Amino acid sequence: MNRKLIKSFGLLAGLLLVCLPSFAHHGGSDYDVQHPITLKGTVTEFYWSNPHCQVFVDVKDDSGKVVNWTIETLAPAVLKRAGWSRETLHTGNQISITLVPSKKGTPVGMLRKVVLPDGSELTGGSLGEQPTQ
Amino acid sequence: MRKKRLGVAVTIAAAIAFLAVARAQSDHSSAANGKSRSATNDPHDFSGVWNPAPFLQPKGEVNPLDLGGHPNPLPPFTPAGEAKYLANAKFIAAGAVLDCDPFGVSRNYFTPRPFEILLTRDRLVQHFEYYDNWREIWTDGRKIPDDVDPDFMGYSVGHWDADTFVVDSGAYNGKAFLTWQGFPISESMHQTERWQRVDSETLKIVLMFDDPVNYSKPWSITGFWKLRKDWVMDAHPCTLSAIKEYDERVNHADKLPGRDYGVPEKK
Repeated sequence: MNRKLIKSFGLLAGLLLVCLPSFAHHGGSDYDVQHPITLKGTVTEFYWSNPHCQVFVDVKDDSGKVVNWTIETLAPAVLKRAGWSRETLHTGNQISITLVPSKKGTPVGMLRKVVLPDGSELTGGSLGEQPTQ
Repeated sequence: MRKKRLGVAVTIAAAIAFLAVARAQSDHSSAANGKSRSATNDPHDFSGVWNPAPFLQPKGEVNPLDLGGHPNPLPPFTPAGEAKYLANAKFIAAGAVLDCDPFGVSRNYFTPRPFEILLTRDRLVQHFEYYDNWREIWTDGRKIPDDVDPDFMGYSVGHWDADTFVVDSGAYNGKAFLTWQGFPISESMHQTERWQRVDSETLKIVLMFDDPVNYSKPWSITGFWKLRKDWVMDAHPCTLSAIKEYDERVNHADKLPGRDYGVPEKK
């Protein structure tokens, strides 16, 4: 019974995480939340602002061409509770960033997780309480 | 002898009156006089920062956070209400949430960000972190005035029913949505909320929407929030400049229509 309960809570938590990007202002359901991707690149700008912060990252595509990705996050208040500050990223930082991409195929996405130059990880924060397991 | 009896009667009456007033003040003390922002077990003390716990919502209700399409179940729309909902949903999907209108009460509740409750002598004040929206709930016994101007946040009055705080609100201007999905509100809507502290850390609010223009019968959503004693609010008001900037930097990059600002150059 407890296992079932834990599984159910886990499923609900997963569903909620899937819903998170939808709370961007970005037209509702424009992100492919089922298929997150991870990119490695160089930060060209970290913009700390409401309603959503933005990380711009130069990423080399398969052909070697550099593409500048626009990656939005949740609001500064949510990031702060996840351990971020306006000084977390700086231009020139080499990072690995996990995001859910735009369904349009444009280099735009919503941040899920970042691995910083020192190897530490930060999530994009959570909206609402998560069930305890 | 008659004087003595009269004196006793007056004394008893005074004592009863005193106890009644003391009880009434006690009932309202934690909800209306700013007692503290503590996690007491007092069922009448709602002070503090409350973070939504949507996973506690009972199954079978309309899910205000189901944004992956039309939620199932949907509210009991009237034909007019359904048409408005579909138009609102289309409006939202096109990026129309890029505005700064106050969210109204219900949509604030079901935006997964915290709110703080502040208590004064005659009001319970809710401060919603997202977009810095404020709401007053009058606790001084008044009714909703007949001549109040309709507003996004409506006009709210509250009273105690044993350990349940009952909030009646009306005078909504019909311009907000009930939830992020775009469920409509009319100026005829009357909203009733029943607040309970189900334990020292958990607040439960059942919202009942009675809007005969848009819904064929009253319907409800149950929300839960957890007390976050260690949190302070980090509210930000919506500003058109910030929204415009976001729209230019993110939405236009994704070829969304956004607002008609033209196509900017990335900084």
